[in-house]
Amino acid sequence: MTLAPGALAARAHPFTPLVLTVCIAVTAVALPGTEAAVAVYAATLLLVIVAGAGRAALRALIPLAPLWFFLLLLHGVLGGGETLTVLGATLSRGGLTLAATQAARLGAIATASLALYASFSPARFVDAVAQRGWSFSLAYVVVATLLALPRFRARAASILEAQRSRGLRLRGSPFNRLRAIGPITFPLVLGALAEVDERGFALETRCASAVERRTALAPPPDRALDRVARWVGIAAALAAVMWRLLA
Amino acid sequence: MSALDLRLVDFTYPGAPSPALSQCTLCAEAGAVTWLTGALGSGTSTALLVAAGLAPRHTGGLRAGQVRTLGVDPADPSSARDLGGRVALVLPSPVSQLSGIAETVAQEVAFAPANLGWAAGRIHDGVARALDILGISHLADRDPATLSGGEMQRTVLAATLVLAPELWLLDEPASALDAGGRALLHRLLRAEAERGSAVVVASEDADGLAGVADRLVVFDAGRPVLEGSPDAVLRGDPVWEAGAGSTTIAALARAAQVSAPRPLTVEEGVAQWTR
Amino acid sequence: MDAVTPLVLDGVRFGYGAEPVLDGVSLRLEAGEGVALLGANGAGKTTLTRLAMALRHPQQGSVSTCGRDTARRKPEDLADVTGYLFQHPEAQLFAQTVRGEVAFGPERLRWAAGRVAMAVAAVLDELGLAPHADKHPYDLPTPTRRLVALAAALVASPTLLILDEPTAGLDRNSRVRVARAVTARRRAGTAVLAVTHDFGFAVEVLDRAVVLDRARITHDMGLTDLLGRLPEFPAPPLLELARRLGIEKVRASLDALAPVLTSHPETGTL
Repeated sequence: MTLAPGALAARAHPFTPLVLTVCIAVTAVALPGTEAAVAVYAATLLLVIVAGAGRAALRALIPLAPLWFFLLLLHGVLGGGETLTVLGATLSRGGLTLAATQAARLGAIATASLALYASFSPARFVDAVAQRGWSFSLAYVVVATLLALPRFRARAASILEAQRSRGLRLRGSPFNRLRAIGPITFPLVLGALAEVDERGFALETRCASAVERRTALAPPPDRALDRVARWVGIAAALAAVMWRLLA
Repeated sequence: MSALDLRLVDFTYPGAPSPALSQCTLCAEAGAVTWLTGALGSGTSTALLVAAGLAPRHTGGLRAGQVRTLGVDPADPSSARDLGGRVALVLPSPVSQLSGIAETVAQEVAFAPANLGWAAGRIHDGVARALDILGISHLADRDPATLSGGEMQRTVLAATLVLAPELWLLDEPASALDAGGRALLHRLLRAEAERGSAVVVASEDADGLAGVADRLVVFDAGRPVLEGSPDAVLRGDPVWEAGAGSTTIAALARAAQVSAPRPLTVEEGVAQWTR
Repeated sequence: MDAVTPLVLDGVRFGYGAEPVLDGVSLRLEAGEGVALLGANGAGKTTLTRLAMALRHPQQGSVSTCGRDTARRKPEDLADVTGYLFQHPEAQLFAQTVRGEVAFGPERLRWAAGRVAMAVAAVLDELGLAPHADKHPYDLPTPTRRLVALAAALVASPTLLILDEPTAGLDRNSRVRVARAVTARRRAGTAVLAVTHDFGFAVEVLDRAVVLDRARITHDMGLTDLLGRLPEFPAPPLLELARRLGIEKVRASLDALAPVLTSHPETGTL
């Protein structure tokens, strides 16, 4: 969790950001038309900022910017039909519209996902699942998957340091860079597998394999606002799907 | 009934050319600290994994012979459920013993009790007590991933202590600890034995365990070859012939051509060489 | 080995956030010196070693490794003169064979094939790894893998050798091999900087103690003068015995003390 403790997203019940992210994705993809897609993206941005995860919205621009550029090229340049001249370039009107739609959809999904990631707290999530009496194994898998990426990155960084200290050069010819792959990927993968193995031992001895009813240590409150937010999200997603099917 | 009872156990890891345990017979009693030692590959670590049931359940491989841990076969899935929380295994490397989902040290220590469904109040008190005993109360709100190796191992020990296990299985538990941590660990092991638990520790740290263990079992080539009181075993030649070692002072005495029985401690060494 | 000073830190200040982890740290290691870097927890000590390897750069002050200012350099620029054993070295192994793993460094440095083969064979012998030369590192037990990583750090005869907890997780025989190998390198002129809480090993192999506490160096003195004088740094058994027997001139290691004690049989006196 990288948000300030007072932020709305940090205080929300753990299921709320999860449900909302899925609903935003469904709504963004289901609703037809550019205006709807842009509206969903705008609404997502607003929601994320109000929830205190504004920085996630900015961070989402990093993967989005090249994707948007690619969409512009793909549809704007290669699309056919009526054209438009923008800054001296001749672009397809229909293509631009399509690019804008897809760009807005991706924007909504990426922003919501990064905000979810920033607000995610493994302990609170596990407690929320325990509180409802649901399967601990499932909760553990979700949490372990979400946490796997930062762990993997940390491991890759330390392996890279070790290999560079032995003389591995990353700059230079493409051949150099290709040769760098082995010394980094093998220990990374083998190490990750070995860690999974050892962690399996540890989990077993810490009674994690046959959990019947796990105690929620600090059960997160599920406030009215949380429930309303989730229902609104689900309703919006369902409405979007219906609209798509009927229109 | 012994807390741990291995009878003529053979165990071979998958794909291994030779067995790790070969006709191994080993008993450990409640209320005592049983110390296992031996050269690398002698089978002490495997004996602990077999006792915990992790070999063969998690490691794969073939096991023959009879294993009874707290009266049941730990490799049998239904018995393993019975053992939950009553048998604890502590390994040398702390990083891979963390749950991976705790945001604070307190949550990490609470991990197993929560899985067992203890009441929240009982967990809270147990955690506070375990952190206090291991001297890490000041780390309760720290992120376990930011701890040093020694602090992490203390966290793992606290997470084990909180369960008040009937059987402790420890493999080189002090390797990440500093001098203060080692002393604390040894006091802890004695206290647990006095409380009535069976403590089995595999270690080459003769200096540390000579004064802590009630019984020493020396392994060689997959089975115990020598047993007795640590004092008696460490002073003699057979422990060296088995490929294991003794205390630093005894090793020095041996290198200085002193014949058995050899001095074990600095005090005895001083007495030995200022006669 | 060239006549450069293996390591010079001058007024170094470094921190990851607002609080400095190292502040006003100055340290100098000469050729052949052996320094134990001590202190509570990993933060300052490991950071200092990373600065020495140009894995991080000082925010104030300077770091010069084997005569090269680290400020404008990358870790791969120091690989020909340094050897670094990381805390979890088994995690960096990638080659198909132990031999291949150890040869990686010299091959990166473009040594001739013959020279590589000789250096690799020599260091494998030194650490007792010759029987495992053609095995896959991941088929070996953890202590043996750590020895392979050490072999990789020693193979190019570095001017500066940095070890982070070199004896952690090692069995008795491996510890003996490590101590002998590092001692031999020191005699050949390699400067050794080791972060370790294994005082028995330190006394056997090193001479000087540098203590880091709250971002500063609080002690820089003879190792045997420090051990046993402060409660956080107890004297290891051989050192304590040597002191009590009045044998101070000899290194407190098994190899050095045994002959002294043998020449005075049990019934004799010192």
